[in-house]
Amino acid sequence: MNIQKAVITIAGKGQRTLPLQTLIDRDGTEKSVLQILIEETLQAGIEEIGLIIRPGDEEAFTEVAGHHSGRLRFIEQKEPLGYGQAILCARSFVESEPFLHLVGDHIYISRTDMSCAQHLVQVAQAENCAVSAVQATRESYLPYFGVVGGSRVKGRQELYQIETILEKPTPTKAEQQLMIPGLRSGHYLCFFGMHVLTPAIMEILDELVANETAVWLSKALHYLAQKEKVLALEKRDWRYDLGAKYGLMNAQLALALNGSDRDLVLTQMIDLMAHRELGA
Amino acid sequence: MSELIHIITATHPEQRDQSLDTFASKATLNTLLMECKALDDFRRQSNNLYERVRALFFLYAIHRFHIPTKEDCDENGSIPFQGYEHLLNRRFEEAINLFLEAQETSGANKSISSALASAYHSLGFQTLANQVRKSVRTVRGNQWMFRAGHPEDHPLRVRRELLTTQQELFPILQETTPVRMDLTHSGWSDIFFLGMDFPEGARVINVSIDLAVRGRKAAPKPPVEAYFRIIDEPVIRLASVDLGATAVIDTIEALFDFARDYLGLLKAAIIASGIVPPGMEGAVQPLHQLLEKLIGPGKGFELISKVNDIPKGSRLAVSTNLLACLITVCMRATGQAESLTGGLTEAERRLVAARAILGEWIAGSGGGWQDSGGVWPGMKMIHGEKAAEGDPEWGISRGRLLPSHHILERDEVSVQTREALQNSLVLVHGGMAQDVGPILEMVTEKYLLRSEKEWHGRQKAITLYDHVIQCLKEGEIQKLAQATHENFHGPIQTIIPWAGNRYTDLLIEQVQDQFGEDFWGFWMLGGMAGGGMGFIFAPHRKAEAQDTLQMIMSSTKRSLATAVPFAMEPVVYDFAINEKGTWGTMLAGSQALMPASYYKLTMPQLLRQNNRQLSKHRQAELDFFGNASRENPEFAGMTQTLFDALIPQSVKDERVQSQLQNLLDQYGFDPVQHEQIRTDLRSGRIGLSQNRLPVNTQIEDVPLADLLDATQPLPAAYRQAGIEALQAGKVAVVSLAGGAGSRWTKGAGVVKALNPFVKINGRHRSFVELHLAKSKKINQLYDADLPHIFTTSYLTHEPIYQKIEQEAQFNYPGTLILSQGQSVGLRLIPMSRDLRFAWEEQPQQRLDEQAQKMQDSVHKALIGWAQGAGEGSDYTDNLPNQCLHPVGHWYEVPNLLLNGSLADLLDKRPSLTTLMVHNIDTVGANVDPAILGAHLQSGAGMTTEVITRELEDRGGGLARVNGRVQLIEGLALPYEEIEFKLSYYNSSTTWVDIDQFLALFGLDRALLNDKTKVETAVRQLAARMPTYITLKDVKKRWGNGQEDIFPVTQFEKLWGDMTALPELNCRFIVVPRQRGQQIKEVAQLDGWLRDGSGDYLASLCAF
Repeated sequence: MNIQKAVITIAGKGQRTLPLQTLIDRDGTEKSVLQILIEETLQAGIEEIGLIIRPGDEEAFTEVAGHHSGRLRFIEQKEPLGYGQAILCARSFVESEPFLHLVGDHIYISRTDMSCAQHLVQVAQAENCAVSAVQATRESYLPYFGVVGGSRVKGRQELYQIETILEKPTPTKAEQQLMIPGLRSGHYLCFFGMHVLTPAIMEILDELVANETAVWLSKALHYLAQKEKVLALEKRDWRYDLGAKYGLMNAQLALALNGSDRDLVLTQMIDLMAHRELGA
Repeated sequence: MSELIHIITATHPEQRDQSLDTFASKATLNTLLMECKALDDFRRQSNNLYERVRALFFLYAIHRFHIPTKEDCDENGSIPFQGYEHLLNRRFEEAINLFLEAQETSGANKSISSALASAYHSLGFQTLANQVRKSVRTVRGNQWMFRAGHPEDHPLRVRRELLTTQQELFPILQETTPVRMDLTHSGWSDIFFLGMDFPEGARVINVSIDLAVRGRKAAPKPPVEAYFRIIDEPVIRLASVDLGATAVIDTIEALFDFARDYLGLLKAAIIASGIVPPGMEGAVQPLHQLLEKLIGPGKGFELISKVNDIPKGSRLAVSTNLLACLITVCMRATGQAESLTGGLTEAERRLVAARAILGEWIAGSGGGWQDSGGVWPGMKMIHGEKAAEGDPEWGISRGRLLPSHHILERDEVSVQTREALQNSLVLVHGGMAQDVGPILEMVTEKYLLRSEKEWHGRQKAITLYDHVIQCLKEGEIQKLAQATHENFHGPIQTIIPWAGNRYTDLLIEQVQDQFGEDFWGFWMLGGMAGGGMGFIFAPHRKAEAQDTLQMIMSSTKRSLATAVPFAMEPVVYDFAINEKGTWGTMLAGSQALMPASYYKLTMPQLLRQNNRQLSKHRQAELDFFGNASRENPEFAGMTQTLFDALIPQSVKDERVQSQLQNLLDQYGFDPVQHEQIRTDLRSGRIGLSQNRLPVNTQIEDVPLADLLDATQPLPAAYRQAGIEALQAGKVAVVSLAGGAGSRWTKGAGVVKALNPFVKINGRHRSFVELHLAKSKKINQLYDADLPHIFTTSYLTHEPIYQKIEQEAQFNYPGTLILSQGQSVGLRLIPMSRDLRFAWEEQPQQRLDEQAQKMQDSVHKALIGWAQGAGEGSDYTDNLPNQCLHPVGHWYEVPNLLLNGSLADLLDKRPSLTTLMVHNIDTVGANVDPAILGAHLQSGAGMTTEVITRELEDRGGGLARVNGRVQLIEGLALPYEEIEFKLSYYNSSTTWVDIDQFLALFGLDRALLNDKTKVETAVRQLAARMPTYITLKDVKKRWGNGQEDIFPVTQFEKLWGDMTALPELNCRFIVVPRQRGQQIKEVAQLDGWLRDGSGDYLASLCAF
């Protein structure tokens, strides 16, 4: 499997301004969120990136993409018809190739030198199938994620064969359908916001979008898992939802604490607390 | 290897199903003790639920029914008080260890065996309850609710559709649910443990039905409804429109307080549905924090329940299905069911059933596993399921907690058959108040012991189930009726004789007489007969049968009303099979109104508020309600209803008050004494703690040497002397029948003496009938002519008189006298001090975890009631008879002097010298000539019969008090543990020498006719007798078969204290237990029957 294309969705309500924000990356340089995401995909060997945007947003994103703008293909989602339909908009862009998909309102921080996307793409290439990055998450966060159920692939610590996927399940359903042996009690494998998808997903999305409103990717992936092998890769890295309360701040802190300015930032934080909170 | 362990562990049914009784009745005492040792070791090390529980019940039965019958078992031993304390605190293992140590030290004896039996029995049921609880918690879909402990962690969200207003109104989610009836009654096989241990035998046919009370509503509809709506306040509003109760919940703590009001079921539903998950019990965070997470800032919700005219105790699982209905609506609202409207999927129905079990446990109640069957549509077979690998029950029990449901489709049971069933079956509620809890315990116990008769009964019930299925498939309703009839008269009453009763027998007899061959059969619903029942008729006579049954039930109820506790007037139902199961509907826009009865409950308060203070949603609702009141037939008459509710009712029910005053005047109420008691009670001079003797009172046990032992054969001379006295007309019997029997009926206010409690010689018989039958037999055996006196009171006189007239003295050929009571007291609202003393300072039986929480909550509410209603005030808020109380049985014998009964009798029978005075409860007492002879030969003024103490014998005993041997009341003991040092317990039977008794009053036979002297003498002696303050339960009935129980204060003087009078020459005689045991509670009956006491009683009677 050769993966050279990526699709990033940034057309969602409340989502489209987030990639325009500026953060200091791990290397200490100032970048837009979009740039950080593009670099994440480039490390994974991606050549071309399809950005799903709202009509009229192209200029702003081109500007913040900086020198990466040449790799971008802008795909407009004409109407806000949901997440699934947004991905479907990239059908002609991906053609019949597998592709990497990231959501535009998250950033990902790897514990190692290998980026999260790079790891995911490597696994997908090795297994020759669609793979979703997932993370063990406490059940109190179930209302925010797509959640997978399945069984561990024999002999593979971090890989799971996906059997079921539910979008934002209640804990009741999660317990009945999505419990995975070996996970801590009350924890489920929730989407990490990053997938390698095969072209078959577009056919499924096409059918779903034709019949339903507001189609989630989870549903399409669930059907994909019934048709072909779909794996989940358990990530122990970090992902940050920029749209959450203090999301940008948390992301910035995480980048700094995992980057070259770690000592500087820690010192500043301690200094702040000492002066502000302890009155020193 | 132990033979009994072999039976328990055998895999082959033939060995496994062997009866304990067969083995134990032949075994020697030594063999039994060795088996007990082995069983006790075995149950401690086994991990298998079934093995542990069956071993525990074997141990219980050996100690309760077999060891005491062995000749070499000692009569008497002591029960360590510490062990008893452990029992009260549910530390059963510790109690067993202590009792076993005591047995090791003193050898096997009846006392310690009674304690061990009780401890093993309790541990057996506790083990079962623990397992059911554990299984419910481990059901997939329920586990998370026990982990979610902080509102911030709440993983549920209310569905957005419910937050979208239309015309300023939030939509309402409505759920309607049928109830269920059980067509087969397979020997109570829906008890959880039976399903978990014997899944093959746990099978029922369960039908979802709609109901209407005949004559009230036009057409049957789903009997239970629930409504869920978002509100714009961060609170939970609850209302039960049929119970007329509302509450606003604004803390998590208040939601877990179940007994504070009548809304416990709604609270349990909110908890069991996960909206406020059980893991949050005790959380201190504000409720609005949780609601914000669940719904959004500033929002809350409203949950309403409605039961359509179906009375409590219908045996149709109304409360379980209401709980399931409430849980369903809450689950739909929070996305735990796929669809907001329509039916549920099978997986969702199963989850609702599991949650209903959880909810019942949380609220401290319980039901069977088929009870939430109304959630499923139509007819279904519900079967126990074998546990498989991966189930939480795997390796623990043979079966799963939850059964499987197979819906019978129309190709299995045709539409015609369904119609035929509806055209033949008359469903009724007989009106009897019932507590089926003890019956379910008995069933479990008998199943585990595999008692031969009962086990065969169960096998027969299983074959009848197959037969009923066959009849349904073939459309043979008449044959089906024969099967249910046979089931009731065969297996059901073989397994549990108490499932039937006199009332039901009379109904069946009358229906049979009137309808002959057109009456196809009787069908018992649920736990026991008398409440919900079915009668199946030829279809052309169904309508007539409905009318006739109403008349038969009403007239039979009237004839038994004073003897049997009825909760309500009997009703006949119209019913229809519900083919949809539970069903959800969204009411939006102008349709988003609650049921009319909701507005009757809530509108008066809303109308009193300033319109501007109401939210825009409430204002819109008022507008729509106004329109509906004018246009919607369901809301017809609402204006007048609201007007009445807004105008305070100033006229009190003067009729009730005047009835009470009449009764007080009629029965010799002493207002001066009453006022004195009230003053003393309020000032703290008298009260529960003041009943006790001073702590320095010397109280010692009385050795056997100081007593006459009638458990061994008495000298023939005594018997001869007794026979001669009988033949010479020297003896009369006095049965004390003035009491209210509070423990028997839990304060229902019926006459215990007339309660037909046991079937002997083919019919149910009452205490009065049995006591007369014993006297009749004595007359026959010894050619005697015993006068038999029943003492009565304000409560019992008229009913006993009527019954004796009606039944022609129950064929008693001799003299029968009613000695009418001359004294009555007026109950008082208790002092909170006394309630606290009773519940907090005196040893109390702790209950299972949730039941205990429920009880604590009830106690808190009752203390609040006493304080609010006025401590020490007259208790008048009930039926007049329920406000009065008998003033203790001491007065019942002096009343013979006061009302002239004794003078008349002595006039007619001057040879009379002796009275055998006994309590109505002491069913084994008769005029035994040997004991009579012993009394006469001793020359005693009074001889009292005592029995060796067993664990259940609470309330004092025989003691040497400051040097004098006398009876001491439990109320008077300075410490609880003293009781456990007393070897003998009062049987409440005394032999009284009339002349010595009169001398005690300063009277003689001649002076008995001097009324003034008699009155003075009785008053003087009464003043010397201690007065005890007691708390008694009294029932208050209201609504549709609802009952509340209140503790009330009353005072008593007790007959046993006569033995403390120094001038009375008292003797004491130990008698066998079967003679001296008192039957105080219905729950005692099964053991009493099984240990041979029932047969013993039958052998004493001639009818």
